[in-house]
This record gives sequence, C-alpha cells and structure tokens, in this order.
Amino acid sequence: MTNIFSLDWYFISLLFFIGLYCMLVSRNMLRQIIGLEIMSKSCLLAIILSGVATNNVNLAQAIAITMILIEVVVVAIGLSVLIKAYRITGSIDLWKLSKLKG
Amino acid sequence: MTISLLAYLLIPLFSAVLIQFVSRNKENLADIIGNITLFAGLLNISYLIFNPVNFKLSFSNIAQDGFTLLMIFMIYLVAFSVSLFSTGFLTKEKNRHHFHSLILVSVSAMCGIVTAGDFFTLYIFVEALAVASFALIAFDDNEKGIEAAIKYFLLTFPASIFILLGMAILLFTTSTFNFAGLQNIVAGGYLSSPIMSGVILILLGFLIKSGVFPFHTWVLDAYQGAYSPVSAFLAGTITKIAGVYAVIKIAMIFKFFDLKLYKISETLMFIGAASILFGAIAAMRQKDFKRMLAYSSISQIGYIIIACGLATPLAILGAIFHMFNHAAFKTVLFLNGASLEKSLNTTNMEKMGGLEHSMPWTSWSSVIALMSTAGIPPLSGFWSKLLIIVALWEGGAKGYSVTAIGAGIITLAYFMVMQRKVFFGKITDAAKKAEEMPALMLAPVMILCAVIIMSGILFPYCYNYLIETITRTIL
Repeated sequence: MTNIFSLDWYFISLLFFIGLYCMLVSRNMLRQIIGLEIMSKSCLLAIILSGVATNNVNLAQAIAITMILIEVVVVAIGLSVLIKAYRITGSIDLWKLSKLKG
Repeated sequence: MTISLLAYLLIPLFSAVLIQFVSRNKENLADIIGNITLFAGLLNISYLIFNPVNFKLSFSNIAQDGFTLLMIFMIYLVAFSVSLFSTGFLTKEKNRHHFHSLILVSVSAMCGIVTAGDFFTLYIFVEALAVASFALIAFDDNEKGIEAAIKYFLLTFPASIFILLGMAILLFTTSTFNFAGLQNIVAGGYLSSPIMSGVILILLGFLIKSGVFPFHTWVLDAYQGAYSPVSAFLAGTITKIAGVYAVIKIAMIFKFFDLKLYKISETLMFIGAASILFGAIAAMRQKDFKRMLAYSSISQIGYIIIACGLATPLAILGAIFHMFNHAAFKTVLFLNGASLEKSLNTTNMEKMGGLEHSMPWTSWSSVIALMSTAGIPPLSGFWSKLLIIVALWEGGAKGYSVTAIGAGIITLAYFMVMQRKVFFGKITDAAKKAEEMPALMLAPVMILCAVIIMSGILFPYCYNYLIETITRTIL
C-alpha cells in the first residue's frame, strides 16, 4: 500500500510542477491557461487520492465532480477574455500588456 | 426557532435570473429590480442586527453568528450603494441588465462565502465570485479593462489551485473540511506538521486573493483598469470577502497565538507590517486618483492581516471592525473617484484642483472618508485602528504596534497632499467646467458617510455588538 501511495504523490507533484513551469516560462496567454489546467488536474488527482487513502471516497467523488464543473466555467471565461484581448490588441503576448502604470 | 440566512443567498440569484428574462428590452426595469432586491435585503438584515430581542439572546436564535450577520450587512450596504450609484452612472450603456445581473450574482456568491460552514463550500463560492467579478471588471469594453481582467485572472486562479492543494492535504490528514470539526481538532491541542502544511497552502492562496504586499501587483491594475463603479465594489467588498474574510476565519479557527505557532503568526504579522508600510509609502508618489486609492487599500488590508497574525480576541475584534469600516470609507472614495472621472474625464490628479467650489458635496464627503481612513478621532477608522494597536501592544508585539502608528501618520500625510491637490487650492480650467453630480448619485455616498460618522460616534454600541460576536465564536 505505502509503495503505491508514494508513487501516486510523486506523479501528482510532477504534474503540478509541469503546470507551474508552463505558467512561469511562457509568455503566450493560451499556454498560461493550459498550464493552469494541468495544475488543477493534479489537484483533482490529489483530492481523489486523499479520499481513497482515508476511506472517504463519497466525499472525494462529490468534490471532484464539482471541481470539474468549476474548471469548465473558469476555462470558458479565460478563453473568452483571450479572444477579446486578441480582437482589441492583436496579440496574445502577455508582456505587451503594459497600458496600466503608476 | 433558528432563523436561517439562506434567503440572502437565493433571492439575489433569483432576481439575477429574472432580470435576464424580463428586462431585455426595458432597461429601466433592470434598475428597478436590482435596486429593490438589494434595498429589501438591506432593510431585512438591518432589522435582524438592530433588533434588541436578538441582541439579548446574543444571536443564538440565528443559524450563524453575529460576525456573519455583520458581513452580510456590509455586503448589502456596499452593493446597494454601488447599484444605486451606477443607475445614474450608466446612462448611455445599452446592456445595463447584464451589469445589474452580475452585481446580484456576486452579492449572492459573497453571502454564500460568509455563511459557508466548511472549506469546500467556501472554495466553490470564491470561484463563483471570481468569475462574476472577472466579468464585471471587463464590463467596459476597452483595452484597460481587458488588461485588468487578464491580470486578475492569471493571479487569482493559481491562488485557487493552492487552496485546492491545501484542501487535499487537509482531507488526507484530518479527513474533514468542516470548520467545527477542525475546531475540535485544534481544541485537542496537538497539530501535526502535515496539517499545518495544508493550512499554510490555504492561507497562501487567500493571501494572494486579498492582495497583500508580495502579491499586490494585480490589485493595482485591477482597481485602476476596472469600470469605475466596479472598482468601488471590488475594493469595498469583493477582495475583502474573497480573501481577507477567509484569513480572519482561519485565524479564528486555528488561533495561531494560543497554539504557540509563532512562526506562522510572525510571518503573517511581518507580511501585514510590510504591506502597511509599502502601501503608505508608495501611495505618496502616485498621480492617478484610483491607483493611489489602490495603494491605500493595500495599506489598510495590512492592518487587518497584522491583527489576524496576532489572533487574540481583541485583535480579531479590531480586524472585523476595521474590515467593516474599510468597506464604508473605501467605497465612498472610489465612488467619488468615479464621479470625478465622469465630470472631468480624467483621473490624473495633476489636472484637478479647487473642486470644493464646483463639486461641494463630492469634495466634503471625500474629506470625511479620508479623515476616517487616516484615523482622525471622532470617526470610525480611528476606533478600529486603536483596537488593533492596543491589541498589538498588549500581545507583546510592541515593534509592530509602533510601525502601525507610524504608518498612520504617513497615511495622514499622503491624504493631506491629495486633499490639497484635488479638492482645495487653485481652481484649474478643467475644474471650472465640472458639475455636481445629480442627487441619485450623491445619495449612496451620503448614506455611507452617515454610516462612517454614526459608527464612530456610537462606538460603545458597536463595541458591545462585536464583543457579543466574539464571545460566541472564539471563546
């Protein structure tokens, strides 16, 4: 049991840092959203794993389904604003957003 | 019989859906439905709070505690003010039914946050609030609004992921998210380090969402770029409820100081002191009205965070009262900023001057709010800052106490500079042409000013109310 479990957490943290790396390195807004999604998938796996490990599968299932729903809304909103930004500024480069300054 | 607070969540949601169907072609109907819903909620919650019968029972006849009631009162007060103000502000907009609908959805989500009994419900409503406020920021279809929305998106949703990871660890170690269950575990005495790592991740997420010093960058851009009445709503309640409320709640549950968790306590207090000083010093050299208010907002959140780090009952009391006061005076300032933007077509403070002649009501209400922010004695801001500073001194954190007093003086300094630049002094050409706002847009500002003055003068009653709140939740 313990062996399999630690391997699971290893892959979850690997997935989390892949997403974090994607968000930190890329300047493209689409890639940022993909990185965000990878990170949230790793959290989803972590919650399911915690539920299994503590014999709490029902709670973990309910949470996982609600989380999927939330993620869909968040990604839809993110993509919609990306399209709007592309129509107004003509690029999806994050570093070109510098209109607001003190 | 216990009174449930679910109606405060469901009725705005119902109205939000209703507006979309009923008032698609009749824009005035959207104003009427939105304002009436919020005003009815405000009257209802005032009746619950100010009813002496409830007070005698120390709110034991209500499903949640007095803290939740005060937060719902604050949400409805600010939302009603913003909604009434934007009824006058939005004259040329075509799609005002979307605006009112989004305001009502975010009110509903905020009521969900403050009535939540476990971390997962809190998280769901925080996400719902983030989505609604995200659409509100980008409501004005220009480049600035979009940029503000993107920056808000790319910092708050990673914060939610930290919260989720923390919740997964919490589920793994304690197998519960429930506030009451966690309180039982805390009362048991010993907290293992895996539990604390989960709590720290959740705390980190909510600190990013509340926009304190190292994570402050999105606050400035979001407040400056957002559509003007929306930035009042954002500064007044949304970031407070989505971030700071949860930090206060975590401090109330885990009692960092009692448990001798000095490291978390010290870190929170250091972050608080750093954001007080950073916000106050950076605000001194701003030229944009809204950006300066955003820096000031960071500085005021620092006071709340420093009190949460200490987490003694007196400090929590000060934090709750300061959050309420901050909602009142910052909303007044941002709404007046929107008025100035509308009549002068700019937010640059260099182009303003001598506005007390052409816009007397706006100017003097701003002066009252500014004095409350800086902590001038009869007004409400003085009392909450005093509570926090006294709590810090009694708790033994004397250095932080002195820092808080010093930053109060800097706050007074930058607001004096701003008053002289904007409201008094020489009249500029732009200020000569400025006209006073109509009564519809002045009314919400006046209501909030009355709240600031009354809660300052009637402070003993407020103090009694807060003591009642604290005794049921902390002790």
